[in-house]
Amino acid sequence: MLLSICYGMYAFAQEPLKIRGKVMDSLSMTPLAGVTIIGKYDYAVSNEMGEFSLQIKNSEMVEVSHIGYASTQVQLSGKDTTTWNILLRPSNTELDEVTVRGKTEQREAQETATVSVEIDEEFLHANRENSLMQTLRKIPGVSTMTIGSGQSKPTIRGLGFNRVSVVQNGIKHEAQQWGSDHGLEIDQYGLEDIRIIKGPASLMYGSDAIAGVVDILPPKVPEINSFSGEVNLLGETNNDLLALSAGIQSRKEKWYYRARLTYRDYADFKVPTERINYENYIFELYENNLRNTAGQEANGSFSIGFIGENFKSETFVSNVNAKNGFFANAHGLEVRLSRIDYDASSRDVDLPFHKVNHFKVTHNTTAYLGDHTFQFDLGFQNNQREEQSEPVPHGYMPTPPDSRERIFTKNTYTANVRDMYKTMGGHTLSLGVNSEFQNNNIGGWGFLIPAYDRFTGGVYVFDHFEWNENLHLKGGLRYDLGWLRTKNHYDWFQSPVDNADGSTSNIYLQRASDTSLNFGSFSGSLGLSYIHGNTTYKINAGKSFRMPLAHELASDGVNYHMYRYERGNINLNPEASYQMDVEVSHVASGYSVGISPFVNFFDNYIYLNPTSDYKETLQIYEYTQAKIFRVGGEVHLGVDVTSNLHMTGSTEYVFSRQNSGPKEGFTIPFSPPLIGMVSANYSMGDFSFFKDLHLNADLRIAATQSEIVPPEEVTQGYQVINLSGMGKINLFKNGNPALFRIKLNNIFNTEYYDHTSFYRLIDVPESGRNLSVSITLNL
Amino acid sequence: MKTLQKTLFLASFLLIFACSSDDSSSKDEERPTISIDYANGFPQGCEELQRGETNTFRARVTDNEALASYSLDPHHNFDHHTHDDQIGDCELLPLKSSVNPWIFMENYTIEGGVQEYEIAIEITIPEDIDTGDYHCAYSITDETGWQSRTSIDIKIVE
Repeated sequence: MLLSICYGMYAFAQEPLKIRGKVMDSLSMTPLAGVTIIGKYDYAVSNEMGEFSLQIKNSEMVEVSHIGYASTQVQLSGKDTTTWNILLRPSNTELDEVTVRGKTEQREAQETATVSVEIDEEFLHANRENSLMQTLRKIPGVSTMTIGSGQSKPTIRGLGFNRVSVVQNGIKHEAQQWGSDHGLEIDQYGLEDIRIIKGPASLMYGSDAIAGVVDILPPKVPEINSFSGEVNLLGETNNDLLALSAGIQSRKEKWYYRARLTYRDYADFKVPTERINYENYIFELYENNLRNTAGQEANGSFSIGFIGENFKSETFVSNVNAKNGFFANAHGLEVRLSRIDYDASSRDVDLPFHKVNHFKVTHNTTAYLGDHTFQFDLGFQNNQREEQSEPVPHGYMPTPPDSRERIFTKNTYTANVRDMYKTMGGHTLSLGVNSEFQNNNIGGWGFLIPAYDRFTGGVYVFDHFEWNENLHLKGGLRYDLGWLRTKNHYDWFQSPVDNADGSTSNIYLQRASDTSLNFGSFSGSLGLSYIHGNTTYKINAGKSFRMPLAHELASDGVNYHMYRYERGNINLNPEASYQMDVEVSHVASGYSVGISPFVNFFDNYIYLNPTSDYKETLQIYEYTQAKIFRVGGEVHLGVDVTSNLHMTGSTEYVFSRQNSGPKEGFTIPFSPPLIGMVSANYSMGDFSFFKDLHLNADLRIAATQSEIVPPEEVTQGYQVINLSGMGKINLFKNGNPALFRIKLNNIFNTEYYDHTSFYRLIDVPESGRNLSVSITLNL
Repeated sequence: MKTLQKTLFLASFLLIFACSSDDSSSKDEERPTISIDYANGFPQGCEELQRGETNTFRARVTDNEALASYSLDPHHNFDHHTHDDQIGDCELLPLKSSVNPWIFMENYTIEGGVQEYEIAIEITIPEDIDTGDYHCAYSITDETGWQSRTSIDIKIVE
C-alpha cells in the first residue's frame, strides 16, 4: 500500500523550476565561490559572488559541499521565489558555534524552542570512547551510567534509565534499559548525525522522553554514482581492546545501499588500585585487573534505499551481539567467592556475565506531496538478554540447576506516521500517530519482572509558526494511551508458609499475577525561539509523561545481583513532569557563549526506595512515587585564543530535592555532581607527513557529591586529564588520506569514583590510564 | 524585542541563582552500625556450634536516630560461596553438597525508635541438619532505610 502511495505521486511531478541562491561562510558571512550544489537532476557551482542557479523539480534535497567546509544537505523548494541563502560552516569549528541559514538541520535546531545539541560524524570521530554514551559525555548536560569498560547508558541532566528515549532512524530503541547493568546495544560506528534534546520531549517522542532524547538520525544519502568505504582499527592498552569496523556505501542513481561490520574484543579493565575495599570485605586484584570484566561485541548492519521523484525510502537491518562479564567478587551488592580461576586469563568471560542480542529492522519512507511531507517509520526489534551467574542456593531456594539466572526475550513492533504540512502565513503543521506493541517473555531461575504485553499509542499535533525569519513559535498537544497486561509467575521451588490454624504448608509462592492496567495522559509544550544577529534566545515550557513499566508495577522477588528484595506497586500513576527551559547563546567572531538553565517539577517521580523492612532476610526496596523539584543547567564558553588555539569551558549542574514521600528532603538516586570541563584545541596544520594535525587537552573536574539518598555513598570529587592528537596521513599515493587518532585518557592514572557508575556501589574506581590508537582508512 | 531579551536574560539568571537556595534540612545520612566484637557477641568468628544446642545469638546495633528492623540468616557455606568480614580467616572444610542444610531466615522489628539495642535471638539448632561450614549473616536497618550488615564464618558440629 505504501508503495502505491509513493508511485501515485509520480503523477504530481512538475516541470523543472529554476531557483537562485547564494552561499556564504557562516562565521565571516563572506560569499563563497566554487561551492558545488548537487541536485537530483542538475548541479551548479557558485560564482565569485557566491551565487548559483539550479533546476529542481518541485522540492528536493540538495547536497552543498566545499573544501574546508562541512557538507550539508538543504531542502530547497521551487515554490518560493526568494533567493536561498545557504551558510556553510568551516569544518574545523566547534559544534556549538553553528549558524547555518537555509533549512539545514543546524538551523532547524536553532529555530526549535527546545534545548538541543547536534552532533556530527566529525565530533564522533574525534571523541570516540569505548561506548557511544561515553563519547557523548563531553556534551554539557549529558552524562553516562557506565557498566565496566564496554557498556553505558545515557543520562540527561541527571535522569536516565527509561526517562531518556534513544531513537534510531525514527524508531524508539527498545532493549532492557530499565536495568542498571544494561548497556545501549547500538553499534557506535557508522553513525553520522545525533541530535540530543535536553528536556522533556514527550510531545514528539512519546512516553519515556521525559528527561530528553538521544535521536540518532539516518545517515546522509550517498552521492549519485558513488562508492565509498572505510575501515577503522582501534587498539587500547587499558583493557587490551582490539576493534575493527568496516563500512561501505554506494549509490547508482536511484538505488543505494550501505553495509557495516564491527567486531570488538577486550580484556578485563585495569583500575588504579590493588585492592577493592567494599563494606568490610577486601578483594585483592591481580595486576590491577578488575577480574571478569572482559567482553566481546560483534555487530552487523545493512541497508538499502531508493530515491524516487518525490520520495525516498530506506530499510535498515542490524544486529548487535555482545557478551560482557561482570566483576566476579561482588556483582551488585552480594559478595561472592568462587572456584572459578578468574585470574587465569584476563580475556575470558566467566560467570557472572550477560549475553545480549539485539536484532532490528526499520523502514523509513519520506514522501513529498505538494505542501505535505509524509513520514512513515516502521520497526521490529527482537531483544534477547541472558544474565548468567553461578547457581547458589538462597533461603528455601535450593541450588538452581544451571547458571541461567534471568532470560528476557522482548519483541517490539513500532509504527509511526507523520504529515508535515506547510500552510500559508508561515505555519508548518505536523500531525502524527505513534504506536508501539511490546511482548516480553521471561525465563531462568531468578524472578525480577513478569512477562507482559504492553501497548502504547499517541496522537499529536504540532505547529511551527514562523512569525518572521527570526522569530519562531512552536507548540503542540498530544494524547497517549497505553495498556499493560502482566502474566502469572510462580516460584519453581516451594517455601513454607504459616497457615491461620498454626500449621505450615509448603507452596510455590506466586510472584506476579495476571493484571491488566490502563493509562492515559496529555502532554504538550509551547516555546519560542528568537534569533537576533549572532544571538539566539529560546524559551520553552512543557509537560511530559512516562507510563510506569512492568517492573515498577509488578516486581516481587529477590534481585540476587543486588542482594535485595524488590517490590513493585500496582497503584503507581504515570509520571508527569513540568519543565521550563531557557537558552541564550551568542556566537561572535572569536568567541561564543551560552547558558541553558531549566526548572522542573515531577508530580510523581517513580524510584526504588529502600525501606526499613525485611523479607526473607533481605532489605525490601519498594517502587515509590514522590514530588520532585529540580533546577540546574549548563554554561559554556568558547574562545579563539589565537587563530590556531581554541579553548572551551563548560559547567553543568543539577539540584534535585524530593518534596514528599519517605525520602522527603533527600535528592533522587544517581544525582550527578557539579561538573566542569575545560578543553584546549590546537591546530598545527601540516606537520612533516601529517596533515591537518590537531592536538587536544581536556580537563574534567567533578565536585564532591554529598547529595545522596540511601543506599548511596558520598563520592569524592576528582580531576582527570585526557590528551589526544589527530590528523591525516597520506599512506598511499593518489589515495584518500588516512585519519589517525592517538588518545591518552586519565594520564596520571588517577584513582577516582564516578557517582553514577554501576560499580560505584561496590567501591570500584573508574578505569586507569589508557592509551588508544585508532586509524581510519577511506577507500 | 529589547524587552524580550531582557526578560529572557533575567529568567536565566533567576534560574541559576535559584540553585543556591538550599535550605539543607537535617537529613539522616548515617548508616546504623552492627557489631559482634564485644564479650557477649555471638557467634564469634570460626566458633563451633553443636547440633541440638540452644544458643543466644547476640549483636550490638546502634543508630544516630532510630533503629528499625533486623534479620538473621545463618546458611550453609558448603560450596565456599562467600566468606565473612571478621578479622582472620577460618580453615574451611572440604567442599561438599548439601543434603538437609539448616535453613533459618527470620526478620524482626525494633520498637520504640531507640538508638541502641542488643539483638538477642535464642535458637536451638536442629538435630537432623547437615554439619559443616556455615555463614551467619546479620543485617540491620534504621527508620530512614539505611542498612548495615555483618557476617561470621562458623561451623556446626555433631
